[in-house]
Amino acid sequence: MRVLVTGAASALGQEVAAALSADENAQLRLLDDCAAQRQDVEWIAARLTDPDTVRQVVRDVDVVVHTGEPPPASESEEALLDRATRGTHVLLQAGVEAGVKRFVYGSTLEVFRAYPDTVYITEYYKPLPPTEMAVLARYLGEMTCREFAREYPITVTALRLGKLVREEEVAGRERDLMWVDIRDAAQAFCAALMREASASLNWVPRWAVYHIAAPITHPKFLLDRAKSMGYRPQREFRGAEA
Amino acid sequence: MKKKVLLLGASGMIAPDLLPGLEDTYDVTLADVAPHPDGKPIVHCDVSSREQVRDAAAGMDAIMNFTVMRDHPEQSFHVNMRGALNVMQAAVEHGIKKVVHTGPQFVRRTYDHDFDIADVPPVLTTGYYCLTKGLASEICRTYARAHGIQTISFLFNGLGPRPTQSAGDFQPFTVVWEDLHQACRLALEIPQVPDCFQEFNLLSWEGHGKYNVDKARRILGFEPTERWERYFARNVNDQ
Repeated sequence: MRVLVTGAASALGQEVAAALSADENAQLRLLDDCAAQRQDVEWIAARLTDPDTVRQVVRDVDVVVHTGEPPPASESEEALLDRATRGTHVLLQAGVEAGVKRFVYGSTLEVFRAYPDTVYITEYYKPLPPTEMAVLARYLGEMTCREFAREYPITVTALRLGKLVREEEVAGRERDLMWVDIRDAAQAFCAALMREASASLNWVPRWAVYHIAAPITHPKFLLDRAKSMGYRPQREFRGAEA
Repeated sequence: MKKKVLLLGASGMIAPDLLPGLEDTYDVTLADVAPHPDGKPIVHCDVSSREQVRDAAAGMDAIMNFTVMRDHPEQSFHVNMRGALNVMQAAVEHGIKKVVHTGPQFVRRTYDHDFDIADVPPVLTTGYYCLTKGLASEICRTYARAHGIQTISFLFNGLGPRPTQSAGDFQPFTVVWEDLHQACRLALEIPQVPDCFQEFNLLSWEGHGKYNVDKARRILGFEPTERWERYFARNVNDQ
């Protein structure tokens, strides 16, 4: 299985690539704006918004894991918006044209920030993104992915990720209901790759959304759907203060 | 004193025919990157430029965004989406509490084989025009909700003058200029809309039973001014 991972220089991209590397059947191709950070796998330095290059990048790929992560260097609002929307469109259009059938997108649970912490939130709740561009752009990228899943015989899995942290680094701090350990988030991407194991689109929704948060007691974000997809979070943040 | 209205896309396919319905009531500033077809004074404003939109919007009571870039793989994102973002940010910056946004009926094209199509969820498709206009609408909705900017979005398809005789095969989403004038005046005058953002079908005849303007009727008080039968009247005299 040849897997393209975008945003490969980001912390999430690195973690996803590391998790996928454990699968000896996975052959990785990593993409980001910056120079190669790993020498042991194929690394392509290119911008998502460059259609000619992206068409080359998606060749011979079976799965595209589009982490949605911006590059480590900060970007303007306009650049964030352009990367999340036009960049996602370029990537999925090129992928569809190259025959890629499976896509996974990294979205964010921050679109539910406006809801109170006193209710359970499921995938059936309506996103209410804030105007903060890092969140709004991520959501618009998710909408772009949804349209491709509607229009083409492909599957797209959107993982709405909580705030990415490492359990041990936030021990003793007040618990945030949106936390998720970045290693668990990476496992969710691996699980999402296998969502349509039946290999028959007749039995698999082309578009699916899952909420990826920590498996804490009385969570704000219910994980039943994600667990049915194969999400197996390990970090419960017991060291954090409730 | 007349309300000051910034009309973006003033030299485009729609706004020059909208102006006669607004200029007696409002102090309209015309803005575009192209000269006005009737030679009216134009403020140069590229909607994809944050600074130019911000400067043009200074002192306004409302912004009407009639700009569009259709099927260009890059400019459609910049003009339609970044343009909508610039409009809403300019409204925030200047304390403007009314925005009129526009988009294509095509975001409801997936329902073309249905009937009684009213306020249905948009299906943006992956085409540049529809997708970028649909995402632009989401940007407007987000800013409207966050900042209490009363934002009215009209969905168009065909626009034009009143037919003078039966025209037979009208596409069903057509709105005549007079009804567009009415709808825009209502949008500029309504104090608030539910959730600060509402999108409306805009058409002049509903006899086909396909699309309707019930929501515009209910919230804005819009009422098409023509009897639809006139446009579909069969010629029965030559038989």
